[in-house]
Amino acid sequence: MATSTQVGLIVIAALASIRQSQTAVPRDIGFFEWFFDADTWTGATGILASLQDTVILCAAVTLVAVAVSVPVAAILAHLRRAEVSSTWLVSISRAVPTFAIAALLVPWSLERGWGFEPFPIFTALLLLALVPIYLNTYTAIRQLPDGPVDAARALGYSERSILTRVEFALASSLIFSGIRVAAIQVVATEPIRAFLGGDGLGRYVRDGLGQNNSTLVIGGIVLIGGLAAITGLIFVALERLVLPNGVRRLSRQQGDISS
Amino acid sequence: MTPGSLPSVLLAEATNPIIRWEWVVEEWDQIWQAIVEHITLTMLAMVLGLIVSAFLAAIALRYRWTMTPITATTSLIYTLPSVALFALLAPVFGNLSRWTAVLPLAGYTLLILVTNIVAGFQAVPPAVRDAADGMGMSRARRVWTVDLPLAVPFIITGIRIATVSTVGMVTVAAIIGQGGLGRLIFSGLRRAFWTPMTVGASLSIILALVVDAVILVIGLWLAPWQRRRKSASS
Repeated sequence: MATSTQVGLIVIAALASIRQSQTAVPRDIGFFEWFFDADTWTGATGILASLQDTVILCAAVTLVAVAVSVPVAAILAHLRRAEVSSTWLVSISRAVPTFAIAALLVPWSLERGWGFEPFPIFTALLLLALVPIYLNTYTAIRQLPDGPVDAARALGYSERSILTRVEFALASSLIFSGIRVAAIQVVATEPIRAFLGGDGLGRYVRDGLGQNNSTLVIGGIVLIGGLAAITGLIFVALERLVLPNGVRRLSRQQGDISS
Repeated sequence: MTPGSLPSVLLAEATNPIIRWEWVVEEWDQIWQAIVEHITLTMLAMVLGLIVSAFLAAIALRYRWTMTPITATTSLIYTLPSVALFALLAPVFGNLSRWTAVLPLAGYTLLILVTNIVAGFQAVPPAVRDAADGMGMSRARRVWTVDLPLAVPFIITGIRIATVSTVGMVTVAAIIGQGGLGRLIFSGLRRAFWTPMTVGASLSIILALVVDAVILVIGLWLAPWQRRRKSASS
């Protein structure tokens, strides 16, 4: 445990480093002039660096959430366990207070010398992403017709093979749409990170509001909104690439439950 | 000075515990004011959201083909990044106007509310509806006295989820100077003084849990047959 003086110094150092990295743009520069200037895109506070920060964090959160949620939900659904927890999760799935959770973790993280990010925002976004992936995986496998599973069992498939080769394959479309919903929510929520001492694409809105500079605010809105839209499109493309045609056709007949 | 920007003069004290209870006692007026503002924003957003959703749900139920575009539009609104949406409306209504915070908050409730209202009315058993028609009820009377009460459990569930998520979302509105308890979070961050931050964040989570429980109770009171049916079947 660090002494209190050290904690104070860490806080000052962390705040000071952020203070230096504020984006400043003269107020008379318009959005297009700003957006199409090469200097806007390069450097430590440039769009490319911020975009990289945001994309890496969102991708990491989504990947960890998938790695945790999908196996747990698939195994529980296969064993027909934890039904109550799943209905309970539905009611909180849309209500994870990401901002409050991240804010609560900030002092805790600084005290341990982990800085303003990524620990607090990562944890908060992870909690947000876990729920839709878990729920979709669970319901997708739980609601499969008994026929294919019984058939596989009769053919002598082991329980593990039933789960991985039959249930998982048939449910893959819904599992995938859970991942899509989670990823889009993560990308849409990530900009709050800039307001909790972090960076990422939210920084332009933060600095723009702080300096009363509408060019920066508009730039930030365009970038955040653009990334959210692109994320949606990437998942549409991924769905075409990853899922077999038969499964896609099947899911279209059954209807999508997640969106 | 807007909430998001960080301190120009650093007041970080050497000893800065996560929560200092004296501050909570001394500044209770400020905390209470933030709680009231938080609840006010939530309620305004919910009332506006409910009015709009009731209207949209009525259209979707009357003309079935509108269901798809209405769901698509409300889902799209739901996925808009909150920071961008609040910042976008700030110059339209001005930082000091409540509407800057209330409009996006209401927008985020639409998907949940419309889906649940429509599901509630669709879950009314056709036999009950036929019986009401057979007794000679007018359409309007049937909707108000038969369909609506039977749809109440679904609608209350929707209101519950939407309200809880709105309580969480209100804190984000602090980036445009609104946001009740979110303002405490920012004032703590700005001064690197953790007490307001911890108080604001934990109170907003506690408020969400309390609101959840209160609406659950209201729902059971409005539709007592739910509880009876549950205990009868068990």
